[in-house]
Amino acid sequence: MSARGAAATAARYTRLTWYLSGVSLHRLTEYRMDFLIGAGGFLARVGCQLLVVAMVFQQVSVIGGWDYRQVLFLLGFSLLPRGLDRLFTDQMWILARRLVQSGDFYRYLIRPVNPLFTLLSERFLYPDAFGELATGIGITWYAADAMRLRLTPLQLVLAPLLVLCGAVILASIKTLFASLSFWTTNSFPALYAAGQLGDFAGYPLDLYQPSLRWLLTWVLPYAFTAYVPASYLVFGRTGLLPWLPVVTAALAALALTAWHRGVDRYEMTGS
Amino acid sequence: MSAATGLAGLRRYTPFAVGSLQTMLRYRSTFVVNAVTATTAVSLQVFLWRAVYNGDSGSGPGGFDRAGITTYVLLAQVLGLLHANRVDEEVSGEIQRGDIAVSLIRPVSYPLTRFCAGVPVSLVNVALVGGPVVLLYAGLLPLQRPGVGGVLLFTASSLLAMVIAFEVNLLVGLAGFATTNIWGIRIVKDCVVALLAGQVVPISLMPGPLAGAARLLPFAGLVDSPLRLLLGEYRGAGAAAGILAGQAAWTGAMTLLTALAWRRAVRRVEVLGG
Amino acid sequence: MIVAEDLVKEFTVHDRRPGLAGSLSTLFSRRHRVVRAVSGVSFAIPEGTKVAYIGSNGAGKSTTIKMLTGIMRPTSGTCRVAGLDPHRERGRNAANIGVVFGQRSQLWWDLPVLDSFRILRRIYEIPDPVYHRNMATYEELLDLGALGTTPVRQLSLGQRMRAEVAASLLHDPAVVFLDEPTIGLDLVLKEAVRELVNRASQQLGTTVMLTSHDIGDITAICDQVLVVDHGTVVHQGTMQELLRSADTRAVLFDHSGAVPPERAIALIEAGLDAVRATAAEGGRIKVEYPAGRWTAQQVMSFLLEHFELTDCFAPEPDLESVLRRIYASPSGSPDELQGSTA
Repeated sequence: MSARGAAATAARYTRLTWYLSGVSLHRLTEYRMDFLIGAGGFLARVGCQLLVVAMVFQQVSVIGGWDYRQVLFLLGFSLLPRGLDRLFTDQMWILARRLVQSGDFYRYLIRPVNPLFTLLSERFLYPDAFGELATGIGITWYAADAMRLRLTPLQLVLAPLLVLCGAVILASIKTLFASLSFWTTNSFPALYAAGQLGDFAGYPLDLYQPSLRWLLTWVLPYAFTAYVPASYLVFGRTGLLPWLPVVTAALAALALTAWHRGVDRYEMTGS
Repeated sequence: MSAATGLAGLRRYTPFAVGSLQTMLRYRSTFVVNAVTATTAVSLQVFLWRAVYNGDSGSGPGGFDRAGITTYVLLAQVLGLLHANRVDEEVSGEIQRGDIAVSLIRPVSYPLTRFCAGVPVSLVNVALVGGPVVLLYAGLLPLQRPGVGGVLLFTASSLLAMVIAFEVNLLVGLAGFATTNIWGIRIVKDCVVALLAGQVVPISLMPGPLAGAARLLPFAGLVDSPLRLLLGEYRGAGAAAGILAGQAAWTGAMTLLTALAWRRAVRRVEVLGG
Repeated sequence: MIVAEDLVKEFTVHDRRPGLAGSLSTLFSRRHRVVRAVSGVSFAIPEGTKVAYIGSNGAGKSTTIKMLTGIMRPTSGTCRVAGLDPHRERGRNAANIGVVFGQRSQLWWDLPVLDSFRILRRIYEIPDPVYHRNMATYEELLDLGALGTTPVRQLSLGQRMRAEVAASLLHDPAVVFLDEPTIGLDLVLKEAVRELVNRASQQLGTTVMLTSHDIGDITAICDQVLVVDHGTVVHQGTMQELLRSADTRAVLFDHSGAVPPERAIALIEAGLDAVRATAAEGGRIKVEYPAGRWTAQQVMSFLLEHFELTDCFAPEPDLESVLRRIYASPSGSPDELQGSTA
């Protein structure tokens, strides 16, 4: 494709994203009750997590080398890539669970637009994600303020990029597991389990056994979504930081390969 | 109703249990995945709390020592498996699709059929997933060994807990009449109930007011009661009986509540047609 | 426009055994079977044709349509739509085609119909004049405006189907695939949908491929017929040719006279061999005869001789009986059909 063609395609997709996001937001106003319940659910979950952390720190003052405010920062920071990812890729859950099994996935194949884009566009700007982002920012801000965190200019510049990479990692993991449904019809349990593992990225990795740490760093790199960036911002540790872009790119490539192979293989069942 | 008719009546419900087993066999991968989830959940909890209980000897906060807290956390997750019986999902699904109207035509009690379908799921979950996880951890870490009496009390208590959990799930499922976003309600239920049951943090470790509230609610019967009975976290036989009695009372109350909720649901279906 | 060469599609089916014991045994052994849903289908449909793709359930129609729309990859063989390979060049092919799968919806579930159309307008980059022209037509023929702001999810099947057909034609596609498009619609709307499709074909030369179990749809829209049975094409040609291939014709008559129907039937069946007479509605008698054995003229002269006819006519062979014979036959071999072009 020529440079001009590529630019035109990019412009077209940007326009479509803009338009479809508007549609999503409009839809939000229609289903207020659902949104409120979703927000409530999310707040309940985060609230419970915060309670657990508070209760743990009632008993001790440091775990794994992190104190209360630092753990709070980690927890809040872990919500940022999750919120950003969820803003665009929530439809993947539907793919994992339903679309292949019911045969309705075909809808994304008959449009003159990239199927992955069409699939995700169904749930652009998913409202729950805003809650996650807002709560994450709130908690991170509070914790940073409480420990009087001073960031260097470099850290300030890198922070949003770190969040972005984290979001790409999460999106890739989600896409990878959701794509498994092209082979196994329903990969929701697998996706859910992978998500469960991610839930705990909000705690310091130092607590865990080496093999588990290895799993969370190199197999399902949740460590790079929260722990590595947070330890950089809080302690200035740069040990694993250079690996971050590498892991992000590799995982994204893997996820897209799985997606393409899966779509290629897709056969619409049912009459 | 004589015993014979009663028994014959119960036989009408066995197909639901069998059907549930068949469905589970078809989706075998779910078990592997559940095992992964359970193992990770346990690992993370265990590591978190073992970091708190750093001293190896003597008892720490809440009267637990290291082995005790490890055992507690491990078994709390296994109990969580016992309570995860998909009833909330299935019931809300049927309501959304309108299939529940059909269930009213059948000559069986819907809540009872759901219970019969849910029990195999719970038991298989515990056996196939919980079993290996417990064995894995028993091999790796020192656990507190319970006494025979403790095990007996635990079994009785777990049965009651299973019933309460089923009823909570059924109530959540019935919320499908009120909203389409059952997912959100389930998340609230999962976190809040787990917290108040003592699955995430032992109730004895909670700050005063929260612990007090938790002890007043039925959810404590889900995890806290069975584990306290197992690990001997009580003083004297009277206290043990008290714990069981409290559970039984809540089981009765929840059953009543569920029956009422179901009655209202039926009325609503009759009026609106599903 | 639509070309298929030796299209083959095979599925691997896992055999499941019934009952709890069956489910347990699947844990240990899995049996597969290979099912050949499409068995070497070849045809070439020229531009602007409206072809009905007919076959009994399980004959492989839906599978072929899925391959032609790019949703399914053929096991072997090729197909091309407007010169593009639908599976490999899916994106470009999608801009050329419109698809309706009966019972399924491609509209946005949570949004009102008109919002879906506005999104489609953006996705297909439909020029304004085309968009407005089509929307006006849909308003006129299908009363789309009446669907209001109800989300698609809450519409009845009939309401949804008319929106689906409209959506498939919105971008003036060169080819439109319709799989049971009028299912669930009342007579008035069925006619409106047929009118819509015919208009598109007339004004734009749209190629139409229709599968439907509704004979009315087929006769109202299509001029060509492709009959498929057990995964192969058993007849391709115009509607007339197919109808003429019917080997059983009928003559209906009414008579004045005191002969009771059973006597009349017995008389006819005794007088003309290989003939079947039955009582039809309104006191008439239907005489069915093999076209190879008798001509209509011979039958009618026999009847003239033996009865006092007040009314007598030979209806056109109807599609239904032709198809019924094809569906019922264990394996349609091309030789059985007269006038078939393969």
